[in-house]
Amino acid sequence: MGLTWKLALRNILRNKRRTFLTMLLISMTLAILIFTDGYMKAMADVMIRSATRLYPGDGQIHHVEYLAERDGEKQIDDVAGHIAALQSEDMIASYSPRALDFGMVSSTANNLAVQVVGIDADLEASVSKLKLSIVDGEYLNNEGSDSQILIGKALADLLEVDLGDRLVVSLNNYDSDEIDQRLFRVSGIFHMNSNFFDKGLVFIQLAKAQEMMGIGDNVHEIAFNFVDEGLSGDESLPVWKNLSTDTTVAEGWTSLMADLASIISMFDFSMFIVGGILFVVAILGVINAMFMSIYERTYEFGVIIAIGTRRMSVLTLILVEGLVMCIGSLIIGAALGALITVIIGNVGIDYGSMEFSGVALAEVLRPELRMLQFTDLPFAVFVMTMVACVYPAIHASRIIPATALHKSL
Amino acid sequence: MKPVIETRNLSRHYGAGDTLVKALDDVNIVIEPGEFTAIVGPSGSGKSTLLQLIGGLDIPNSGKVLLSDKEISEMSGSELSDFRRDHIGFIFQAYNLIPVLSAAENCEYIMLLQGIPAAERKERVYKMLAEVGLEGRETRLPNQLSGGQQQRVAVARAMVSQPDIILADEPTANLDSQTGMDLLDMMHDLNRHEGMTFVFSTHDPKIMERASRLIHIEDGRVIKDERRED
Repeated sequence: MGLTWKLALRNILRNKRRTFLTMLLISMTLAILIFTDGYMKAMADVMIRSATRLYPGDGQIHHVEYLAERDGEKQIDDVAGHIAALQSEDMIASYSPRALDFGMVSSTANNLAVQVVGIDADLEASVSKLKLSIVDGEYLNNEGSDSQILIGKALADLLEVDLGDRLVVSLNNYDSDEIDQRLFRVSGIFHMNSNFFDKGLVFIQLAKAQEMMGIGDNVHEIAFNFVDEGLSGDESLPVWKNLSTDTTVAEGWTSLMADLASIISMFDFSMFIVGGILFVVAILGVINAMFMSIYERTYEFGVIIAIGTRRMSVLTLILVEGLVMCIGSLIIGAALGALITVIIGNVGIDYGSMEFSGVALAEVLRPELRMLQFTDLPFAVFVMTMVACVYPAIHASRIIPATALHKSL
Repeated sequence: MKPVIETRNLSRHYGAGDTLVKALDDVNIVIEPGEFTAIVGPSGSGKSTLLQLIGGLDIPNSGKVLLSDKEISEMSGSELSDFRRDHIGFIFQAYNLIPVLSAAENCEYIMLLQGIPAAERKERVYKMLAEVGLEGRETRLPNQLSGGQQQRVAVARAMVSQPDIILADEPTANLDSQTGMDLLDMMHDLNRHEGMTFVFSTHDPKIMERASRLIHIEDGRVIKDERRED
């Protein structure tokens, strides 16, 4: 073992308490960074899943002009062709065609404006969580009566209706250009844990909606989910182009929910801020610990420089001491970070019905591990620690022997 | 014979104006190879400053230090480090061993810097420690040795790399009088047998008696230079 390494190792073991505290600081920095990254990633995933898989889907196909004004006349006319295209894509897991328009729903007690959504009950169940959100009554049945209607719990309260009660739904018929009014009976009440959905949406059978809207077999939207939900934010995938035509466009949640995409991108910035604060604290801590160690040994550095040690060797010695502590701390920090993340991931963080940035967190949040936590983050902490050691190392290498030895030679 | 140490108009001042302190003022000395010289004078007379300047541990305000005809102020930092490593041995008042290294490792340190092979290092270290009476204590850490033993290790460390000059600043100051006398006798023996030049500072009259040359310093100036028969 080289002289520098031997001295560095023995010096590190010399003041065990200071070494322990310094290594604790570095390892806790990495552990917190790993957990924070795992937490942020989980939060982003849950928000995306909550926002997409609760109802909208990972992606949607519309007429190119539909979303600008939600104009009911802008429909997808080649539904069969789009479904064939969706079925040919391996990365698409499920899809659901929807006919939708704004209308009026009336009970004996109240009239309210809502969005009426016509769905194929079986296909919709594979895309959204509507079926799982039923808290009273039954989900729609494709084979059942065409007067079934699903309404949100909050809307039911506003309309003062319950299961089996009558509702009149009024929609614009684009074929006759007249208002089409039909009588429905509340067959199910859902609770999606989102005011927007629970107050603003009603669901009826697709064929009934198409008939009332006078749009034939056309639909306004085809929602779909990916097999791997993580791909849904990748706008560079060829699938978006494959599913689009001259008159229709397929878009993912990053385009459809630009606000959410902005919030998610803010997570990276938040991580940067958290990391920055931790780094500043850790850098100051490491510099302080290294300086304490150097001041304690000023006399010693004076001696070793006096007897012929080059200043560069003194600088190297301090950097090696920092390196050894850093590597040990990274191993401990990575293990600690992984342990904390796994334990909290298993227990989960339940935010209940809390809405975060307008999105109801529909799942228990489970921080997760990923590769960059054990590559990029330790590397960043390593660079931080070594940078923090440079200043004390330069200081030690510049010690003037005569000053250090003050009272003696 | 070429002098091994020569100072020319050497001055070292601290402070300025009213607070100016002339620690060393226009000092000219010449020391020949193999001399056993004591720099003597009261506390604060400039003994340590002179030794620091001779050893290249401090920079003079004016004047020159020549070691074996080489002017040390013209050396770069690395050259000066290498020169100290290869030509000067230091013995400090407070022993100043590296606390995390054993007695043998402390002695070995300079030879490691010099790149001497391991086998030769070991042989020289054990021989030198035996010469200073520390046989069997090679693996002890400094805190496991008495003050006298630590200073013996310091002497061994200074001598084991076979430098031309040994500079010692009050090497017996922290030792009891008997141990101090024993140490000085040992240094004198090594001086005679190995032929190294010793320059040490002291204000202890008993220690002065062992020196073959006394350079008296007072208020930073050489006031007397006396050579004595061995």
